[in-house]
Amino acid sequence: MGKATYKVKGGKLIKIQLRERADKIQEIKITGDFFLHPEELIEELEEALVGKPLKEQDLAESIRRLMQERGATLLGASPEDLAKCILMAGGEGG
Amino acid sequence: MVEEWRLLDTGVHDAFYNMALDEAMATARSKNLVPNTVRFFRWGPSAVSIGHFQSMEEEVDTAACDEGGVDYVRRITGGGAVYHDLEGELTYSMVINEDHRLVSQDIQKTYQTLCSALILGLDSLGIPAEFKPINDILVKGKKISGNAQTRRMGVVHQHGTILLEVDPALMFSLLKVPSEKIRDKLIKAVEERVTSINSCLGRRVGFEELKGALKEGFEKAFGIRLVPGQPIDFENSLAAKLRVEKYATRDWNFRR
Repeated sequence: MGKATYKVKGGKLIKIQLRERADKIQEIKITGDFFLHPEELIEELEEALVGKPLKEQDLAESIRRLMQERGATLLGASPEDLAKCILMAGGEGG
Repeated sequence: MVEEWRLLDTGVHDAFYNMALDEAMATARSKNLVPNTVRFFRWGPSAVSIGHFQSMEEEVDTAACDEGGVDYVRRITGGGAVYHDLEGELTYSMVINEDHRLVSQDIQKTYQTLCSALILGLDSLGIPAEFKPINDILVKGKKISGNAQTRRMGVVHQHGTILLEVDPALMFSLLKVPSEKIRDKLIKAVEERVTSINSCLGRRVGFEELKGALKEGFEKAFGIRLVPGQPIDFENSLAAKLRVEKYATRDWNFRR
C-alpha cells in the first residue's frame, strides 16, 4: 500500500492511499481536509480512478472531466494537486 | 418590512445530536417547512468533529477521546478536524435557500458573504477580524473561527466554530500526530497561529454576551431580523432518527 500526503500551497491537505498493479491504480482512498461539492462524489471519483495508469496529466484530466460532468466543485485542491499526490503515493512503492 | 429569519439556541447537546439537528434543519428548509435559520449550539461532552473526507483513524486518537470522555463524529461538511470544548467554544450553523440574495453560485464568494456576519459580530465585541480564504476568520493573522459549507437539496448549510478559549495541548492530546517527536512543535505552531476571544480581549466573555454580539452581526450583515424560535416537530424527530441511524454509528464515523 503506497501512501502520500501533499499540502496544497494556499490550500488544503490531501492524503492518498493506493494499491497499484502494473503501473495502474488497483485501489485508492482519497482523504484530507479539502472541500468537494457534492461530497458523495468522492466515492465515485475513487471508483473512476481504478484501472487508470499512473500518469499525472492523464489522471488530472480524468478528475477534471468527472468534476465537469457532475457539475462538481473542488475547493482547497485542484485535479492537478490530486493527481500529483496520487503519483507520490504510487512512487512510494505501492 | 425587514426579512425575518429564525434563531435557534439549542444549548448543549452531544456531538451526534448536534450534527443530526443540523442536517434535519437543512432538510426542513429544503421542504420549505421552516424559514432561513441561524442556530447557536455547544457540545457536551466536548467532542472532536472531522471533515467529511478525513479518516477518523488517521486524524483522531479515539483511545484518548474514549478515556477522556470526548465524543468524535464525522461532519457532513468538508474541512478539517475541530476540537469543540464544552466551555471554550461556540458553534453556529445556518441554513439558507440557495436562491437567496446572499448566496452565490461561487462557493468561495458565499463563504466570504456568510462569514461577514461573524466578522461584524466580533467587531461589536471590539475584535477586529478579517476573512481569510478559503474558510477562516483571523484576528491579527491568527485564526479565531473555522467554517464549513455544504449544499444539498437547494439549501446552503454552513456551520463553524468560534473560539472563546483555546488549549492547543489538550487539542493535540485528542488528535493523532505524525510522531511524538513533533507534538511539541505542533502545539507551539497552534499557539502561534490560533487565538481566542478571551485572549484578544484579555477578559472572560460569557456565552450569552458572545451570542448577543453574533446575533447583532448576523442582523446587520445580512439585513435581516433574527426571531427566536424552536425546532419544529419534523426537525426534532428527523434529528432523533439521524442521530441513531447515522451520526452515532461506526459505519458513518469510520467510513473513511
